[in-house]
Amino acid sequence: MSQLLTELGIAVVAGILQGSVYALVALGIVLVHRASGVFNFAQAEFGTVGLFGAYTAVVLWGWSYPAGILFGLGAALALGLLTERLVIHPLRNASRVTVLVGTAGVALAAVGIQFWRFNETPIMTMPKIHEGFFRIPLIGASVTVQQLITLGVLAVASVALALFFRSPSGLAIQAAQQEPTASELVGISVRRVSMLTWAIAALLGGLAGILSGPYTTFTAGFLTFGAGRALLPGFMAAVLAGMRSMPGAVLGGFAVGIVEQLGTLTILLSVPGARAMMLFAFLLGVLLLRPQGIFVGRAATA
Amino acid sequence: MTTTGQTRSTPVYPGRHADGGPVPGAGATDETTVIPVVQDLDDPGVPDDEWDEEFRPSRGGWVGRGLVWAFLAWLVLALPVNRFSPFEVGVADIDVLSLAAIYAIGGLSLNVLLGYAGQISLGHQAFVGIGAFTSAYIVTNLQLSFWLAVAVAAGFGAIQATLLGAISLRLSGLYFALVTLAYGTFAEETLFGIAALTGGEGGKPAPRPLGFESGYAYYYLCLGFLALVLWLDWRLTRSKGGRALAALRENPRVASSYGINVKAYILLAFALSGIFAGIAGSLMAHHDEVIVGSSFDFRLALLFILMTVVGGLRDRVGVVIGSAFFALLEEKLLIEMIERLCHFLLEPFGLAGWSIGEVLQGTVGLPLEFVGLIVGPLLLLLTITKYPGGIGQQVAPIRLWLTGHRFDRHAGAVTEVEVNDVRA
Repeated sequence: MSQLLTELGIAVVAGILQGSVYALVALGIVLVHRASGVFNFAQAEFGTVGLFGAYTAVVLWGWSYPAGILFGLGAALALGLLTERLVIHPLRNASRVTVLVGTAGVALAAVGIQFWRFNETPIMTMPKIHEGFFRIPLIGASVTVQQLITLGVLAVASVALALFFRSPSGLAIQAAQQEPTASELVGISVRRVSMLTWAIAALLGGLAGILSGPYTTFTAGFLTFGAGRALLPGFMAAVLAGMRSMPGAVLGGFAVGIVEQLGTLTILLSVPGARAMMLFAFLLGVLLLRPQGIFVGRAATA
Repeated sequence: MTTTGQTRSTPVYPGRHADGGPVPGAGATDETTVIPVVQDLDDPGVPDDEWDEEFRPSRGGWVGRGLVWAFLAWLVLALPVNRFSPFEVGVADIDVLSLAAIYAIGGLSLNVLLGYAGQISLGHQAFVGIGAFTSAYIVTNLQLSFWLAVAVAAGFGAIQATLLGAISLRLSGLYFALVTLAYGTFAEETLFGIAALTGGEGGKPAPRPLGFESGYAYYYLCLGFLALVLWLDWRLTRSKGGRALAALRENPRVASSYGINVKAYILLAFALSGIFAGIAGSLMAHHDEVIVGSSFDFRLALLFILMTVVGGLRDRVGVVIGSAFFALLEEKLLIEMIERLCHFLLEPFGLAGWSIGEVLQGTVGLPLEFVGLIVGPLLLLLTITKYPGGIGQQVAPIRLWLTGHRFDRHAGAVTEVEVNDVRA
């Protein structure tokens, strides 16, 4: 019994730490969905592109780490803006499923280019910002400094987003989301707001990728379907947030992270792929019982 | 019917009789055709069947069409002395052709969802994979017949798709994408990891049915199933269900106000899509003869989306061509076939040494194994932003000509404006 409790404690800690990556991805998904009603399947790929950018700069070109991070974020930002320009804007009158296919196409193109350009070393390793790790006393969970940095960045990003949405630009985004026509009438450029939204989403995705990449070795498509899979958990966190609440996305990220880690308990050891099973069961449960989301006040509109 | 359509010069526009009078009920008084909101699923570019009744190809026209048909049959059936399809190389290539036929069934399966019902599935690899393992289990472990296995695999596919659809329909259809994505991962890691059912790492043997062991026989079997699926698909679009799906894809609210049971028809589409996916999975299992779980990964689901969208949604000829295109591209046979064709055409001019593969590899720096990975997504993005009709739109003039219509360069153009949900 006590062993189960210990394992639960470890799972919760590990879940929150892993969940902060999901929360970063989910924030981007919620932001884009609120702005344009799009399910952005390229969100995780923004992260992988950022990670590949940082890897190229730091490992291949020997840049300093901060410069590498900036370069990675720049790569993610470029992909985000390109997506908005080349896919989202031309498809503004298309159905949502078409736009979804478009974002999936962006992700697929990015994955293809990663496979192609980095095919000499298919499995790559990104150095950590700080190599240290320690054990939390009492619970016994092992925590790396890198994971704590991710958690810290998530906290900073959430606060920054909250402050940003009180600034004039942030208010413009909110206005354009709620009432595009009226915002155009009062002089808000919906086009610019859309670019801004995608830029922020791409930066959030890039942060998730650059910070979680060093956790393990990575391959092309790392955050979409690779070892650091964050697309599906990120979406589930966004569903928990009703696809609209930003604080909900953060809480949802933690919740999804914890649920996923429950799959690593010893009692589930004999079940293959227990983590994927927990996620699927959890998603079904949420959609069946509270499809409008948990961490949200108002029901999500379709 | 005395008109010799081939020689007549005045074009017949949709919405007008040859004498220039408006067609009663066609809803158009001049050349600007008003496309009806709900189009005939079969011929997206031909709003009315009656306008073509005047046109009958001349004898020469029939001969020409017949020759093209014969050429197509020669190509598709991979008959002897066929330089473009792979008779000269043999077994390995005919297996790729079987795979193309199987992918076409998979593409048609996704087309039912994505094209007719307007729902996207990102977990199609799970439907196909479960069909494959079901079929392999029935044939290998239970020692039952292949035909029963195909039927059971199809049934399993229908059940899965319907259940998942019923859950996600509680919300907007986009959630189906999410549920299928989660289901695909779950199937990949959990279901296909159960060694007792899937044979674990070593894979599961799935012998080919009696009489179809050879590559050629199996290819014709796959073609037969493809024909069956095409027929079912055609029957669906011509039935009440198909028209209901077309209506509710355009606008669910209006459709439901006309008494269409929206959920029931979407579930019907899910079920049919699952049946097709199950058949594809079963055929794929016996095609490979030994299957492993890792071959049904997320990339397969994405490949189906590429095939369907690039092929042209709602256009079954386009989807089949698109699927074959991507199957050949994946298996690296397409470039080889183009090279063979180039070689055949350029040989008389002494340019036989030219090779597209070398150009790609040397000049562009794109090794052949990555061509599919790069070309596919780019084609997808190009299709949805610029040519929403896909390959189907490009081949529509030829297709209509082949079926005895006049050659019209603009046939098949996708003029339909997709209805967006209006934001308040």
